[in-house]
Amino acid sequence: MKMTWSQGAHPTAGTRDGVHWIFNPYLLLAFRLLLAAIFIYAAVQKIGKPLAFADEIHNYGVVDYGAPLYIMAVVLPWVELLCGLALVTGVAVRGSALILLGLNAMFLAVIAKKTAGYVGDGTPFMKVYFDCGCGFGATYAWKKLLEDAAYLLVALALLAAPRHRFVVSIRRRSS
Amino acid sequence: MKILRNAILQAIAIAAVSAVVGFAFNAFSRNGINPFKMPVKVPVAAEGSQAGEEGIRIIDLEEARRMVESGASVIDARRKDEYDEGHIPGAILFDYYDMGTYRDRVLAVLSNESEIMVYCSEATCEDSELLAKELYLLGFTKLLVFKGGFAEWSGAGLPVERGDL
Repeated sequence: MKMTWSQGAHPTAGTRDGVHWIFNPYLLLAFRLLLAAIFIYAAVQKIGKPLAFADEIHNYGVVDYGAPLYIMAVVLPWVELLCGLALVTGVAVRGSALILLGLNAMFLAVIAKKTAGYVGDGTPFMKVYFDCGCGFGATYAWKKLLEDAAYLLVALALLAAPRHRFVVSIRRRSS
Repeated sequence: MKILRNAILQAIAIAAVSAVVGFAFNAFSRNGINPFKMPVKVPVAAEGSQAGEEGIRIIDLEEARRMVESGASVIDARRKDEYDEGHIPGAILFDYYDMGTYRDRVLAVLSNESEIMVYCSEATCEDSELLAKELYLLGFTKLLVFKGGFAEWSGAGLPVERGDL
């Protein structure tokens, strides 16, 4: 087994291979660093505050108090941190992208549910404002929904990219 | 297909490592919790509800003043520098985010027989309620959260103490 820092077998992938511009290697690298910065920051805000984070998750009305909620509060910030570090270092980029895709889909669903609750109570959609518990403080729901949708698309691009540059690849030595 | 399979395997590995690191950190963290021994519900009664109920009750400025005058235990959930600048007379500092430093010394002077009032900076802060929940989990059941916090207290011109106790 050999670990190498790889710039990819085809440095021009995304320009001459007929691959979509979204898979341009430098754009993909920018996507990785963007997602990494956001999720590392979000994780650091939550690590070491499991009770507060459990309350924030509970406020969505999806998971009730109990072991599953508290386990999420303990583990989820570390999942975000490790995914962020993996994207920066180039280790397990696709695995991180898959997790962040799932997390963003989940965040979108619960934020949409909570927003729908406020709208149902008579608050105009554009005026719905709350702390999503994401680690960035209170913001307008429409803004958060747009942000999370963008992160979801970025994670999808990272997952679906034919190849990544600036990654650590693990190859088996041929005997 | 191979790409997706690799991604799933990597994701499982990341999740497993996160769980191990998360639980290990939680075990040694000052604010660590035991996810399997947490109560399923902490009763929180709204402002204006009857006294004497078990759990956490939200109180207003007038009741907070009566509590202080009657000699109830008062806990300040803010940071030490905020506490030193000014706090409710007789309040004991218990920074919610520094449990390890304060837990033992504060618990030693609290009694489950009398009511315990907790406050933080202002009405929008949540640390008083979070700390009250933590105290409930530790076995204290007569908990009052003064929601207006120090801002409302000092704003009303009520007595303020400065420095460490």
